[in-house]
Amino acid sequence: MSVNNQKKLNLHKIFNPESVAIVGATKVTGTVPYDIVINILKSDFQGIVYPVSPKEKVIAGIKTYKYVLDIEEPVDLAVLVFPSTVCHLALEQCGQKGIKSAIIISAGFREIGGNGIEREAQIKKIAKDYGISFIGPNCLGVINTDPNIMLNASFARKMPEEGNIGFLSQSGALCTAVLDYAQAKHIGFSKFVSFGNKADINEIDLLYYLADDPKTEVILLYLEEISDGPGLMKAAQDIIRRTGKPILSIKSGRTAAGASAAASHTGSLAGSDEICEAAFKQAGIIRCGNIEEMFNIAIAMAYQPLPQNNRVAIITNAGGPGVLTTDAAINDGLRLARFSDETTKILKKSLPVTANIKNPVDIIGDARADRYKVAISQALKDQDVDGVFVILTPQSMTDIESIARSVCDVAVEYDKPVYTSFMGEADVAVGIDILQRNNFPHYILPESMSNAFAKAYQFRKQLEEEKNGPVAFKDVDPQKAQKILNTVLKKKQTYLTEDQSLAVLEAYRLPVLKSALATSVEEAVKFSKEVGFPVVMKIISKDIVHKSDVGGVILDIKSTKEVKSAYETIMSNVKTKMPKARVDGILVRKMIPAGVEVILGVKRDVSFGPVVMFGLGGIFVEILKDVSFRVAPFDKKTVLSMIHETKGRALLEGTRGHKERDIEALTDCLLRLSQLSVDCPQIKELDINPLIVLEKGKGAFLADARIMI
Amino acid sequence: MDQNEVTNRAKKVIANVLKVSESDITDDANFIFDLGADSTQSIELVAAFEEEFDIEMDEAKALEVQTVSDAVSFISGYLNS
Repeated sequence: MSVNNQKKLNLHKIFNPESVAIVGATKVTGTVPYDIVINILKSDFQGIVYPVSPKEKVIAGIKTYKYVLDIEEPVDLAVLVFPSTVCHLALEQCGQKGIKSAIIISAGFREIGGNGIEREAQIKKIAKDYGISFIGPNCLGVINTDPNIMLNASFARKMPEEGNIGFLSQSGALCTAVLDYAQAKHIGFSKFVSFGNKADINEIDLLYYLADDPKTEVILLYLEEISDGPGLMKAAQDIIRRTGKPILSIKSGRTAAGASAAASHTGSLAGSDEICEAAFKQAGIIRCGNIEEMFNIAIAMAYQPLPQNNRVAIITNAGGPGVLTTDAAINDGLRLARFSDETTKILKKSLPVTANIKNPVDIIGDARADRYKVAISQALKDQDVDGVFVILTPQSMTDIESIARSVCDVAVEYDKPVYTSFMGEADVAVGIDILQRNNFPHYILPESMSNAFAKAYQFRKQLEEEKNGPVAFKDVDPQKAQKILNTVLKKKQTYLTEDQSLAVLEAYRLPVLKSALATSVEEAVKFSKEVGFPVVMKIISKDIVHKSDVGGVILDIKSTKEVKSAYETIMSNVKTKMPKARVDGILVRKMIPAGVEVILGVKRDVSFGPVVMFGLGGIFVEILKDVSFRVAPFDKKTVLSMIHETKGRALLEGTRGHKERDIEALTDCLLRLSQLSVDCPQIKELDINPLIVLEKGKGAFLADARIMI
Repeated sequence: MDQNEVTNRAKKVIANVLKVSESDITDDANFIFDLGADSTQSIELVAAFEEEFDIEMDEAKALEVQTVSDAVSFISGYLNS
């Protein structure tokens, strides 16, 4: 059996064991080892339980074994609850016993540093030697609500209800809070996993497992660190495309504290959170800001069909909330459905004259279940409606319970999503309970309802989008780029000079303007005639990074006479301001015609690898930080979405007297940069600032570049 | 005090604190894994060794000792210094 197939089988046994040994169990109440035993017993586990304890003969009325090796029958799963200092001894015996699946609950490994790191390496080695797959260490455990299994191998207080949401979390403590939150809202789970230090089985293995789990329809993932960004992206893309199961994720550490001290524009703008945001978007993972948002979206996708399109009908017994919901829907990119004549006719006939029969439909404050029933069913029948929002505020005559039941009865007859918001708390509680128990997503705030619908709609749209592979240009010269980079690397230089940087970019056929390095006034004159006036002259020195600051750049030079004068001025400025700088010469280059300045960049991220940045230059990047990121490599569609994401794109698209710019040429540059960033791992950071994008059809030109290795 | 005497007296202490039979205490027995010591008992064990051998041990280091034979060596170190 291949290693992957063995791992799959081992993972299957973790969730579906026929027998479980709790290794390191005790009789001491209120401890993790004891609670794990009790939780497995209380969860109505359908297999056999073997407590293993060095001292006890019986725990909770069950025969207890001194060593796992003393158990005569085969054991599918070992749950290790020994202190970390002896987990290796326990795992070794599990290996000798032939157990291939384990959950290591114990803490005191990599997360504490020092000896803990060694201990984690030790258990990883034992697991590898015996072909054991394990979850943890330092985790809460695993829950499977499948009635045929009923396993709560965790120290969570309660077994959750059965459901179709799979929850994976790196944090154990968060799990218990989530279980408590979910219980109050009748949210059920298929599988519930705390994977802790992920020393062996990681989030990618678990995502693939849940992808193939028939009981799981929606996957939730809480992450604190991403060790294999490209692997996570690939897994998410594969799973979403293959199974259509949405993946929702919270990645903690959103604040800027994690952003590295960077040497380039790209480096300073590309914080870990921005990159994570871009990577998740690219992979199709729905990133959520908090637990509440995650569950708001999860219940919509787990309970109801995905909307075919974005046209919603709002049915409300209160005008104000109807308007609030309308505003939220429009802000979220949804549209209010325009009812057919038939719908309008029936609504007019069935509702009081005071009712508003146009969308949002206001069935008036005294509405009872019959009005809700007719309005909801008519809206769902209408071909121009893709989903219905039902809003209720509790007036004295509002029969909340009966209305909630009617919503459930009517909505199940149609294959369209129905979301609800019974606004308030105490009086509406009975109605909310009915809706939640019947798997109708309920939201306290209409804004959350609208946001959930929008996310479900976007996911639906994303499923229909065709995915293309990354573009690979054949006219590039990777060897040339590698040679330059390796030469600089050997010299232990951090930055490439401008001409070296431009040569690397030229090797990938980025539109570098022709230029030449002059080491004398005569050469400068000769080169300026060759490239054609007007020209730009720039100092080239590995000691000078910011050329303008030392008076090392002169623009718009129109004649031979001006070339001679510019050469002398630049040399004199540099001599005065940086007398010790080693000067290679002065670069003479044709002046680029006016165009829109954009910035392109690359940063190599620790988790995701090469990331490409795009933004408009000048104020857009400096002050507004109006930039977008994508993990390389990517396709043309990704580039277009990257450009579209920035606010300054209007300048490229041509508005208010500005001509349309050559977006095709810009796209080509970004694709080539993507390929370069993947081919050349030596590049740590790269800035092309600016790239001048000319009018449509006239191309783009690269004026300046910096590469850090 | 010779090594055998230290071993015999240490095993008596261990049996008494961990409430295990002296015959179960092999030289390479691990206090936690084989003899089922919990964190409180580990601290009690250190105190009991100190009393039995009239020594004062570095508690942090003493708690790192995992097996009976290592404990005997650790105690002997104090007795011989």
